[in-house]
Amino acid sequence: MDFGFMMHYAPYFVNAAYMTVFISFFGLVLSLVLGLICVAVQMANVPVARQIVRAYVELSRNTPLLVQLYFLYFGLPKLGVSWSAETCAIVGLAFLGGSYMTEALRGGFEAVPRVQLESARVLGFSPVQTFLHVTVPQALSTAIPAVVANVIFLVKESSVVSAIALADVMYVTKDLMGQTYDTYESLTLLVITYLVILLPISIVGTVLERRFDYARR
Amino acid sequence: MTDINATTTGSASLGVAGAAEHPAVTAQGAALSVRHLVKQYDNASAPVLNDISFDVPAGQVFVILGPSGSGKSTLLRTIAGLEPIQGGEITMGGELLRQAQSAGKLRSASASDSTKVGMVFQSYDLFPNKTVLGNIMLAPVLVQKRDKASVQAEALRLLERVGLADRKDAWPHELSGGQRQRVAICRALIEHPQVMLFDEVTAALDPEMVREVLDVILELANSGQTMLIVTHEMAFARAVADHVVLLANGSIVEESDHPQEFFDHPHTERAQQFLATFTYDRGQRQS
Ligand SMILES: Nc1ncnc2c1ncn2[C@@H]1O[C@H](COP(=O)(O)OP(=O)(O)OP(=O)(O)O)[C@@H](O)[C@H]1O
Ligand SMILES: [Mg+2]
Repeated sequence: MDFGFMMHYAPYFVNAAYMTVFISFFGLVLSLVLGLICVAVQMANVPVARQIVRAYVELSRNTPLLVQLYFLYFGLPKLGVSWSAETCAIVGLAFLGGSYMTEALRGGFEAVPRVQLESARVLGFSPVQTFLHVTVPQALSTAIPAVVANVIFLVKESSVVSAIALADVMYVTKDLMGQTYDTYESLTLLVITYLVILLPISIVGTVLERRFDYARR
Repeated sequence: MTDINATTTGSASLGVAGAAEHPAVTAQGAALSVRHLVKQYDNASAPVLNDISFDVPAGQVFVILGPSGSGKSTLLRTIAGLEPIQGGEITMGGELLRQAQSAGKLRSASASDSTKVGMVFQSYDLFPNKTVLGNIMLAPVLVQKRDKASVQAEALRLLERVGLADRKDAWPHELSGGQRQRVAICRALIEHPQVMLFDEVTAALDPEMVREVLDVILELANSGQTMLIVTHEMAFARAVADHVVLLANGSIVEESDHPQEFFDHPHTERAQQFLATFTYDRGQRQS
């Protein structure tokens, strides 16, 4: 292994990692917001909106992210909407992640026992108070493992944005391999970069799981 | 539990703080009055509760008995406002609490309305995301908008009473079933409910934990708290009851102001039959 080569190109990977983290971060925040909205619609059983959410979840989960990105990056301009590659990447990730987060959060909300809500009601809580102080904390604690798994999945999935010429970790790796033919070193740098990004997420996830594991009996 | 037993003789007791600030009844008469109550679940062919009427005078302990499926839980749930009713009305201290709704919807209750009734369920229902103290303090602070410091002081007094002062910072999952039920009782009491409802609160407990919970309820009875108790613990029912009601097939089959007499010499055949299910006869062994 050529460590000199790796040290030389490492700064490129640092910059690329910023791009991956930037895209992933905003994609994830939007995914969670979208997921919460969708779950709220499903839980409140809003007539038409519920069907829309159902259709969205199926469409989003059953099409590849690459296709969703191509649609945003190459398709939308034909309709007169031109977004930057960054915007397309973030919106694409959010579109995909929203459905995964919806399913993860829904599991948490459905797991809140009915007697919890009834206790809150007899104690005089309003529906909003019950939602904020009983339902949400318990639902989130149950959903944490699934949400963390989705976060890691989406960060990895963000490598697809290299296909629309965004200089993320994957893009830089392909570039480097093309220029230097040092495939082995390039891929090693790629793996290290992803580990540096994902391991802390994994660790924080485990800590959160422990901290909020209310359900253990 | 030693402190419970030690304080039973004293005048200070679980419900006194509440009773002083919120008199259980305005003047004379019933704390809780149920009139021609009809409850039928959607999709059910017959009502579970069919024209039930009774009065619970202030300070009385009402024990409701009946076979499985006779509607005991349903009755408590209608009083607690968890089930809409199809006929009749429930009043508390002379004020309307629940009534039949044509649309099958529950009348929206005001915050003060909704804290008139306290309930403890069979399943342990403490909020797992709150500590013991957090569970007890949440409703008085959030719903009744009471001062946090005084609520905390009262919560600690209640915990002391049920012998759990040292567990105030524990999480529900760290407690035994009996301890959780005692905390659940504190959580209901701190709102100073006029009526407490207990639905088979010891049914899911190991036998050695039943006692510690029932002792708390007995002490509460001595303090003058009005309550309705559903239980399968006959020895306890006999000890605690001022009034016994036997529910079967949607109606009150027999009731009595003399619990000892009811248990020893029930009048109706249905009551005799029901009570017989709790006794075992050595004669059965031979046959
Ligand atoms: N949510 C519901 N929907 C439809 N039917 C119900 C519902 N809850 C209870 N029932 C029915 O109503 C009847 C009375 O039930 P309830 O739980 O009040 O009985 P119970 O006297 O408390 O019985 P147990 O001693 O087993 O707790 C039963 O036949 C039951 O199947
Ligand atoms: Mg029951």
